[in-house]
Amino acid sequence: METDRKIILLADTEQSQQDKLRDFYTSFANQIKDKGLEDSVSLVRASDIGIYGKGFAVKIFPRGIVYTGVNESDIGAIIDASVKGQGTVERLLFSEEPKQIRIVLRNCGVIDPESIDEYIACRGYGALKKILSGMNPAGVIEEMKKSGLRGRGGAGYPTWMKWKFTRESQGDRKYVICNADEGDPGAYMDRSVLEGDPHSVIEGLIIAGYAIGAGMGYMYIRAEYPLAVERVKKAIEQAYECGLLGKNILGTDFSFDIDIRLGAGAFVCGEETALIASIEGKRGTPRPRPPYPSVSGLWGKPTAINNVETLANVPYIILEGGDKFALIGTEKSKGTKVFALTGKVRNSGLVEVPMGITLREIVFDIGGGMLGDKPIKAVQTGGPSGGVIPVDRLDTPVDYENLQKLGSIMGSGGMIVMDESDCIVDIAKFYLGFCVEESCGKCAPCRIGGYQMLNLLNGIAEGSGSLEDLDKLRRLALAMQRASLCALGQTAANPVMSTLRYFEQEYREHIINRKCRSHKCRSLMTYSIIQDKCKRCRVCVINCPVNAIEGDREKGFFIDVSKCVKCGKCFEVCKFQAIAKE
Amino acid sequence: MAKLTPKDIDAKIAAGLDESGDWIKVGMSTCGMAAGAGEVFSTLQQEAKKRNLEVRIKKCGCQGMCYAEPLVEVHCAGLPDVVYGRVDKETAIKILEKHISAKTLVNDNIYEVRTRRQA
Repeated sequence: METDRKIILLADTEQSQQDKLRDFYTSFANQIKDKGLEDSVSLVRASDIGIYGKGFAVKIFPRGIVYTGVNESDIGAIIDASVKGQGTVERLLFSEEPKQIRIVLRNCGVIDPESIDEYIACRGYGALKKILSGMNPAGVIEEMKKSGLRGRGGAGYPTWMKWKFTRESQGDRKYVICNADEGDPGAYMDRSVLEGDPHSVIEGLIIAGYAIGAGMGYMYIRAEYPLAVERVKKAIEQAYECGLLGKNILGTDFSFDIDIRLGAGAFVCGEETALIASIEGKRGTPRPRPPYPSVSGLWGKPTAINNVETLANVPYIILEGGDKFALIGTEKSKGTKVFALTGKVRNSGLVEVPMGITLREIVFDIGGGMLGDKPIKAVQTGGPSGGVIPVDRLDTPVDYENLQKLGSIMGSGGMIVMDESDCIVDIAKFYLGFCVEESCGKCAPCRIGGYQMLNLLNGIAEGSGSLEDLDKLRRLALAMQRASLCALGQTAANPVMSTLRYFEQEYREHIINRKCRSHKCRSLMTYSIIQDKCKRCRVCVINCPVNAIEGDREKGFFIDVSKCVKCGKCFEVCKFQAIAKE
Repeated sequence: MAKLTPKDIDAKIAAGLDESGDWIKVGMSTCGMAAGAGEVFSTLQQEAKKRNLEVRIKKCGCQGMCYAEPLVEVHCAGLPDVVYGRVDKETAIKILEKHISAKTLVNDNIYEVRTRRQA
C-alpha cells in the first residue's frame, strides 16, 4: 500500500550548495539500497522546508520528524532509527514552534477566492450570522474592545473606539468605508487579502456597518489593482445573490449595501479625509481635523473608515471571541500583523506574525536571511511615513509603541531589508522624493518644505552639501511635522529624520569626504583604470560617450577626470575588472 | 443562487471545505500571475484531460511565498500535501505524471510539505 511508504525529504537549509545536496542525495539513496529499503521509501530533494542556516535537513513522513545539521556519517543512524524503526536520533532532532500565525491570511491560498461556497465552508459569514442572531451593536463593539484590535492602516487607532464614536454620533445616515488605497512602495498586504479572500473583508465591513448603525458601505480600492477589483466585484455580487447583502440580511431587519469606488492614482487619497473627498467626487485633498470622520465624514455624515487588514480580522474576533484574539501579541498591540517582506532578503513575500516578534526573527528565521549572505544594514518599515531601523536594533520586539520609539512606524506593513550596498542618503532621497511627488499641494509646509528638503538631499548626494544642511534638514522636518495639514506631510520627513538619527556619519561622509561608501551616489564616484589589470583592448575608449579616456596601446589608457561624466559605462563594459570605482 | 438562511450557513460550515479526491491548487493572485501561474493553470487543465486523470484543478490566492511563485499545492491520496514552487510548464507536467499518476514526489521544486490538516 502507498500509505506504508515512507517519504524522505532532503533539503539544504543554507541554500548555497545545491551540488552538495545532490551528492548527499546520492549517498542517502545508496545507503537505503544497501539496507534493502528502496521499495518502501521514496527519497526526494526539496528546495526549501522553511528552516534556514542549519546545514542539511532530513524530514521523514508520515511521522514528520525533522533532523538538521545532518552529515553523511549520520545517514546510517537515521535510516536505522527512523526509517527501519520507529525511533529517533535525539541529537539531530529539530523542533521549533511555527513563527507565523495566520488570522488575516487564514483563507489566503486555501480557498478559491471566486467562490463564496468555499469561503462559507471555512466558517465564512458565520460571524455575521452570529451577530444577527443575538448580538446587539454594543455587544459587537464590546467584543472588539476585548480584542484590543488597532487599525492596521498605520496609525494604530483602536478599532472599537472608532466604531463607538461613530455609533454615538448623531446622524440620519451613517457610512462605513474600507480603505484599500494601498500605496506605500513595497507594500502589498491588502492586495493579497483582497485577491485571496475578498469575502473576509466584505464580511468585516458588514459587521462594522451593523456595529455603528450604517446602511451603506464603500470599498475604496486603488485602480492599479485590477485583479483585486475584479474579485471584490464578483464577491459582492455573490453576497447579494445569497442574501448576505441588500435588504433584510438573513431574514432580519438589518439591511446593508456595498459599492466599490476606485482610487485614481493619488497616494494622498489613502488619507481618510482626502479619501472621503474623492468618494464625494471632489478633488482628493485632505481637510483639517477635527471634525473627525466619526462626527462628520462622507457627505457630512458620521463615517468609520477601516483598513483592509483591520476588517479581515473582524470576523475572526467575532467568531473566536475578543479574549482569544487578545492572547496573541504584546500588552498594547494585540493580534498579528501582516508584513510584505521585500528588499535584500532571500525569501520575499507576505508574512503574518504575532505582534512582539523581533525584526531579526522575521528577516532570518522566516525570510531565510540575506540575499547572497551579505551583512544586513537596516530594515525600513512603514513606507514613506516610516523610518529606517539600524542593525543594532533588530532585536526590538515589533509593536506600535516600539517602532515609534525607534523613529519609525508600524505603517501599513511594508518591510524593506537593506544591505551595505544601499546608500542611506539615497534611501532618504527616494522616500522623500515619493512624498514630494505625491504631495497634493494644498498646504505650504508639505508642498514647499518637502521640496526644499529634497533639494538639500540632492545637494548632499551630489557632493555640494555642507554641514549646515543637516541642521536645515532638521529644522524643515520639524516644521513639516508640526504644521502640515495631514499625515502625508507630517510624516514625510520621517525617513530623513530616522536616517539622520542612526546614520549621521554616512551623511557626513557624503559632505566632508565627498564619498558614498555604497557606491550609489553617482556624482561622488571617481573612475580610474587599474593599469596592472588593463589589457589595453580599447573597449572602454570606444564606449565612453564623452571621449574622456585618453592614451594609446603603448603607454596605456587614462581617464580624464575633468571630462568624465561618471556614467559608469567603462565599468560595465570592461571584461577584465580593470576599472576602479571609488 | 437562492438566498441563504442562518440554517444554510450552519449546514455549509458543518460540511466544511470539500477537499475530497485528488486536487491541485494554483496560486492565482497578482504575484502568481506575474510569474506565469496562468500558463501553469491551463497546462495542468489540458494535460490532465489528455491523460484522463481524475484530479480537480483549482484556483487559490497568495500563500505568501512570493519568491517561489508560481506555487502549486498538490493533494493526492496516500501522500502528504506538497507545495511546489517555481513551477513552469515542464514541472507542471512532471507533477501530473509523477505525483498524481506514479505517486512519487517531484525533485527540486518542493517548498513545503505538510501532513493532512484535520478539518
